[in-house]
Amino acid sequence: MNEATGAPRSDDELLDSVARLWEKIDPPPEDLADGVLARLAAQDLEYELLTLVESDEALAGVRSATMLRAPDETGTWSLEYLGPGFRVQLRISRRGRQARLDGWVSPPQPMTVMLSSVLRKGSVLEAQVSDSGRFEFPVAPAGACRMTFVTETGGRPQATPPFWI
Amino acid sequence: MTVSEVPESTTSTGSGAPWGAAAAAFTRWREGDDQGLDDLVRLLSPVLWQVVRATGLDRERAEDVVQTTWIALVDHADAITSPQGIAAWLCTSARREAWRAGRQASRERPVEDQVLAHGLPDHESPEHQVVLDDEAAMVRSCLEKLPERCQKLLRIVAAGPRPNYNDVASTLGMPVGSIGPTRGRCLDKLRQELVQAGGIR
Repeated sequence: MNEATGAPRSDDELLDSVARLWEKIDPPPEDLADGVLARLAAQDLEYELLTLVESDEALAGVRSATMLRAPDETGTWSLEYLGPGFRVQLRISRRGRQARLDGWVSPPQPMTVMLSSVLRKGSVLEAQVSDSGRFEFPVAPAGACRMTFVTETGGRPQATPPFWI
Repeated sequence: MTVSEVPESTTSTGSGAPWGAAAAAFTRWREGDDQGLDDLVRLLSPVLWQVVRATGLDRERAEDVVQTTWIALVDHADAITSPQGIAAWLCTSARREAWRAGRQASRERPVEDQVLAHGLPDHESPEHQVVLDDEAAMVRSCLEKLPERCQKLLRIVAAGPRPNYNDVASTLGMPVGSIGPTRGRCLDKLRQELVQAGGIR
């Protein structure tokens, strides 16, 4: 308060006194912060799901449920996912039992990419995103996989829903 | 919300504003100390409460919006490049989420039931029975003499770090260009009332 100085109060000082008034007449519930922390704890903090925005299902008719029983198929298909602040394009090339996965992150940013098999837990391959946004898994596992992206700055990992290789 | 939409500068409000402590807690959390997030939640949740309630949302929805805002922070913390911007980021997110929730609420309720808590509470309400010190009591009686639109606008711009005019305009449904001049007129009126009441000599 500036009564003592006799100076007219600045806009900011006036707004501060308005803010202080509202803090007194409309205080938050006492357990507001506890409620927030409980909600954060309950939230699945394991990973955040990326959204599939495009898929070029060149082999859609061949793959699907019969995928595992058609090990000799050959072809290339692509998937595109959208995350917070980045896009990921995947190109999967399969030749018989061999599969290869190439990926591009845009805009490029340093990340670790993990490719894990949904069925064979513990089977995880790792790659780094290059300066140009590229990463690759020259030998990718077949079957349902999930890809997880971890940024260097920490935070929740971003993961794709399971997709077929 | 993208980062580019968020004002990074935090024009501090009065003494004791927790922005510095919030920046420090945010930095600790990002460096791997989970307690940093707890501290941040305890420091800034009361600020977010004022920001959200200033938009006119009822208490129950306001609590939900505050929680949603923290979840958004956990999901998008990577996008916050400056710890000094954390309070501004949270308050901007909270204000936009509150605006969205308010629009949804008004679609769900019949028009005659829309009682928004923008203005000062009625004299009969429990909030009015809070014992106020001399300064708060004087500010309150002076505010009550201002048009309701001024009361709303001043509550919104007073809560948290000073918001950008786009957000204020969205919340009040006013053109952006009119916010600055209206804010100035409302503050002048409040100043005049305080002078008359003897609050400023």
